[in-house]
Amino acid sequence: MEGEELGLWRSSVIGAIGLLVFLSLWEILVRTNVIDPFFLPAPTQVIDKAIQMTTAEDAVLLTDIKISATRVLTGFLLSVLVGVPAGLIMGMNPVIRAAINPIISIIRPLPALSWIPLSMLWLGIDEQQKYAIVFMGSFASILVYTTDATMRVDPILRRAAMNLGASPLQILRYVILPGALPDILTGLKVVLAIAWTCVISAEMVGANSGLGFRIWTAKEWSDTGQVLVGMISISATVLVLDILFRGLERVLLPYQNKGLGNK
Amino acid sequence: MSETLIKFDNITKHFSSRKGDIVAVKDFSLEIKKGEILTIVGASGCGKTTLLNMVAGFLTPSSGNILLDEQPITKVEPRCGMIFQHYALFPWLSVKKNVEFGPKINGVSKKMRREESAKYIEMVGLKGFEDAYPGELSGGMRQRVALCRVLANKPDILLCDEPFAALDAMTRQIMQQELLRIVNESGQTVLFITHSIDEALILSDKIVVMSVRPGTVKDIYDIELPHPGKVEVQLTDEYLKLKRQIWAMVEEEVKTSMNIVSS
Ligand SMILES: Nc1ncnc2c1ncn2[C@@H]1O[C@H](COP(=O)(O)OP(=O)(O)O)[C@@H](O)[C@H]1O
Ligand SMILES: [Mg+2]
Repeated sequence: MEGEELGLWRSSVIGAIGLLVFLSLWEILVRTNVIDPFFLPAPTQVIDKAIQMTTAEDAVLLTDIKISATRVLTGFLLSVLVGVPAGLIMGMNPVIRAAINPIISIIRPLPALSWIPLSMLWLGIDEQQKYAIVFMGSFASILVYTTDATMRVDPILRRAAMNLGASPLQILRYVILPGALPDILTGLKVVLAIAWTCVISAEMVGANSGLGFRIWTAKEWSDTGQVLVGMISISATVLVLDILFRGLERVLLPYQNKGLGNK
Repeated sequence: MSETLIKFDNITKHFSSRKGDIVAVKDFSLEIKKGEILTIVGASGCGKTTLLNMVAGFLTPSSGNILLDEQPITKVEPRCGMIFQHYALFPWLSVKKNVEFGPKINGVSKKMRREESAKYIEMVGLKGFEDAYPGELSGGMRQRVALCRVLANKPDILLCDEPFAALDAMTRQIMQQELLRIVNESGQTVLFITHSIDEALILSDKIVVMSVRPGTVKDIYDIELPHPGKVEVQLTDEYLKLKRQIWAMVEEEVKTSMNIVSS
C-alpha cells in the first residue's frame, strides 16, 4: 500500500471528508464559545455573510472579484506579452542574456509591495497603478522562467531543424517556442498566483475597490466575517484560474500525458 | 566510374578546450561516389561524429575542405540529411507533421506535403501511425520516422551516426534490412557510421577503417558480398574472412586507444 496512488475518485472522497471534519470542528468550537466568534466566525456565519454580500443590491463581492481579477489578468497579460518574447530572445542569445541578467537579478528579488510607493507617486491609485504593480511583480519571473525554458530545449532539435533547412526565425517559431512551451506554461502558472498576491497588496494599501480593499476596510470595521469571505474568495478565484490554466495546457500540449515519454 | 559526390580533401579538425588542444581528425581524405553506401568504422573517440558534423555543416574543418558536388561546404547543408542516434524527433509533432517538417520549411504546398509524407510513411511501414506522437512509439519506430523525415527532404546524401546503436539486436537487424531496401530502391548515397563490423559488412559497398585519435583513414575495403544483406550472408566464407581482416585492423586501434585512456 505504501506509496501507492489512490486514484482520483478515492482521493477526492477522502479530501472531501477531511474538509468536512475540519469545518465541523471549527463550527463546533465557535458554537460552544471555545472560540470567540468576534475573532473567528463559524463557517455557517461566513457563508451567511457571503450570501449577504452577493445578494445585496450592489452585489459587492462579485464586483470586487471582477475588479481584482481584471487587474490581475491585465497586468499579467502585459507581463506575458513582454516577458515571453524577451525571454525567448534571451534564451537564444548569450550576449543579450549576459547584458540583461544583472538588471533582472536586481529587480527580481524585490517584493511587489516595495513598488507601491513609487508607483503611487507616479500613477496615483487608479487602475494603471494596479496594473503596474502586477507587472513589476510578475515580469521578471516570467522572463527568467522563459529564458530557462528556452535554454532547456534540446540543442539536437535545433540541429535537426537546421539540417532540414530551417532559418533562425523558423527555428524560433517551430522549434524553440513549442519546445519551451511546457516549461513556460508551468512557470506562468506559478507567476499567476504571485500576481494575485501583488494585486491584493496593492488594493490594501491604496484602492477603493477590489478584494484587497474589501478585506482591509472590513478589518477597520472589525468585520471578521467579511475578512474571511474576502480571503476565501481569493482562494476560490485562484483555484478557478488554475483549473482554466490546466485546460489551456491540455489544449496546447496534446502530446503530453500520452505514451511512454516525451523524448 | 561514377561521379564523386563528397570529397574530404585533407581534413584536419582540432578543438581547443580548457585542457588544451585536441586534434580530433588529421589529414583525412576520402571520396564518396554517388549511389554508394560507405561505412566508417573506428574506435570510440576517433572522430567519426566530428567528421559527420563537418559534412552536415555543423562544424567547419580547421584546415582542408569538404566538397559536395565540387563545392566546399561552408554552412549547414540540408542536402546532407542527418539521422541522429537519438532520433531527434520533435516530441510535440505527430509522425506525419515530423515527416512534413522539412517540406513545410522549404515551402512545399500542403497538398504535396501530404502526398509525400504518406508515401514515405508507407514505405517504412508506419501506415496507421500518422497521428501518433513520438512519445508513443518504440525506439525502432522512432528511428523509422527519423529516416522518413530526412528522406522527405530529398537529400543528396544520408548521414547516419550510429543510428541503430540504441536499438535492441533484433530491431537493429530489421532496421538494417529496411534501410538497405529503401536505399537500394531510391539509389540514395549513404555515409554510415558504426562501431559494429557486422553492421558495416551487411550494409556497405565500401568500409573505411579509421585509426585512433587523431582520426585518419587506416584502410579501405571494397565489399562485394551479395546484397541486400540477407542473414545468410553472414555465414559465407567471404564474409567471415573480411570480418576477421577488419577486426584485426580495428582491434589494433581499439587496444591502442585503451592504452591511451589508461596511461
Ligand atoms: N566540441 C568539442 N570540444 C572538444 N573536444 C571535442 C568536441 N567534440 C569532440 N571532441 C573530441 O574529439 C574526439 C572525437 O570525438 P567524436 O567525433 O565524437 O568521436 P566518435 O564519434 O568517433 O566517438 C574525442 O576525443 C572528443 O572528446
Ligand atoms: Mg560518435
